[in-house]
Amino acid sequence: MRMEWASEVAAIFRRWNTKLLRQPIFLFFSLIQPLVWFLLFTQAFSAIGNIPAFKLLTGTSSYITFFTAAVIIQTIASSALQAGIGLVNDIDSGFMDKMRVAPISKSSILFGKLFSDAISTIIQVLIILLIGLALGVSIASGILGALMIFVIAAAFGIAWSGISLFVALTTKSSQTTLSVGLLTTFPLLFLSASVMPLELLPGWVQQVAKVNPFTYIAQAFQFLIINGFVWDKIEYAFISIIIIGAISLGASLLVFRKKVY
Amino acid sequence: MVVEDLRKTYGKDILAVDGISFRVHKGEIFGFLGPNGAGKSTTIKILTTLLAKSSGKATIDGLDIDADQAQVRRIIGYCSQDVGVDDDLTARENLMLQCSFHHIPKDEAEKRVEGLLQKVRLTEAAERRLKTFSGGMRKRLDLASSLVSDPKVLFLDEPTTGLDPQSRQDIWEYVKQLNKQGMTIFLTTQYMEEADRLADRLCIVDQGRIVAEGTPNELKARVGADKITLWFKAGDLAVCEKAAKALSTLEGVDEVGKCVEGLTTQEGLAIMTKNGSAVVTQVVRALDDADIAVEQLKLSVPTLDEAFLKLTGKTLNVIERKEAIRTASFGRRRRSS
Repeated sequence: MRMEWASEVAAIFRRWNTKLLRQPIFLFFSLIQPLVWFLLFTQAFSAIGNIPAFKLLTGTSSYITFFTAAVIIQTIASSALQAGIGLVNDIDSGFMDKMRVAPISKSSILFGKLFSDAISTIIQVLIILLIGLALGVSIASGILGALMIFVIAAAFGIAWSGISLFVALTTKSSQTTLSVGLLTTFPLLFLSASVMPLELLPGWVQQVAKVNPFTYIAQAFQFLIINGFVWDKIEYAFISIIIIGAISLGASLLVFRKKVY
Repeated sequence: MVVEDLRKTYGKDILAVDGISFRVHKGEIFGFLGPNGAGKSTTIKILTTLLAKSSGKATIDGLDIDADQAQVRRIIGYCSQDVGVDDDLTARENLMLQCSFHHIPKDEAEKRVEGLLQKVRLTEAAERRLKTFSGGMRKRLDLASSLVSDPKVLFLDEPTTGLDPQSRQDIWEYVKQLNKQGMTIFLTTQYMEEADRLADRLCIVDQGRIVAEGTPNELKARVGADKITLWFKAGDLAVCEKAAKALSTLEGVDEVGKCVEGLTTQEGLAIMTKNGSAVVTQVVRALDDADIAVEQLKLSVPTLDEAFLKLTGKTLNVIERKEAIRTASFGRRRRSS
């Protein structure tokens, strides 16, 4: 049974990878917005780095170095949207029915897609880090730190995709899936420690940021980039990933198994 | 396959399938004929485990569609109305993917895929992405992809809707072949011709209910009589009356129409009988004996269209509605007298 599951996931994983390789343009579409932010936002706000408290709190006076984490998170979030959209496309084309009528488990349909999305997330994060390096961002934790960033990014991507899968399976509408994703990403980004250190945020935003998973993912990235391996930050990131993943993927799977088409 | 009192309701009021029961025997082609919204797709989706039923019972090869869902999925193949193939992949990749869904080992899968590609004449297009395929090619591939597991029962949901005539012929040919090799086939259609040509037995469904069940011939016979129509030279009312008189006493003839000036020239003289093909020779002979010149003769047997109209009180709203008419070969007969 376990072997069968692995081979099902592998088949679906390969299918999505092939699709991705044949439509590489989509990989860059979801990169456009984060990159525009990376290049423009950091220019306009570069003076933030000169605030003494900023340097004190973050350990760097380069805002672009700090902001790299926010760009990565934004990329993951917009990439996660694609998981749900891909599923809706399959439902619309009738391919989903073909999979559902085959003797394969529902979870392999989802995980095959999620693992393939993780690959594209890693590619995107790699591109961002390379552009960051070109812009003068250096990663304090080195190559191993970069690998850790990939792992956190992929894992968070899978967990966050669960939300778009859930919306997609519940509404079967790519419009809704897209809007839910777009409408949540920006508020969550600004209500977290990704664009500004937690301590510099106004009181009520701090309260929200403390329960916002983006904060913990961002801090893990920020510390890996600016300071090096700070294990409790990485731990917090994984705890948030596990909590979000358990809820979002559990709910998606439940809907997928129950859903009457 | 045994289906008993199957029901499906959506929400509170919408009754898509309203208590249907039927049996499909091993090795037959069973047709489900009805207009859009009759509940055909809903039924096929319940039987293929895609949709939960509201009540009733259904078994396929002794397996319950709910309790033994996993096993049912191993013995069925399904072609949905919308073609379930991946446009970004090639034909071969699509089939290989389906093979992996059915856990067929790679070597075996490659062999099967090659065979299937040949069967649906797509060997040459095997490495092309489906984006470049025509509607007919995609449907053929879709059919092939539902065959990778060599299913015992194949479900086809309106397999030829929207296809060009040539592709339709192809699909019919494949379906017949598969059936000859012993595959049981359940198909829904809104085309009379399709049901007539393919189905060994069929159900006529309307508004979620089965209104009639039988072989195509049985259903046609329910409509009743065959009709022989005769046309005489224009305005030749006297000849018509003479013919009507001669034929009214003929054995096997149930009813002879009236000769009306003008109308008879257009509509012809109608003769109703239970056995058209046998009576038509006697009619010709009787007319010959009476020296009556016939301009044209036509024998029409009831069509499934008429059966449908009679059973449901409405016509199928399908563009293509051919009348199955056998125009007698001795149609134009002219005699000197």
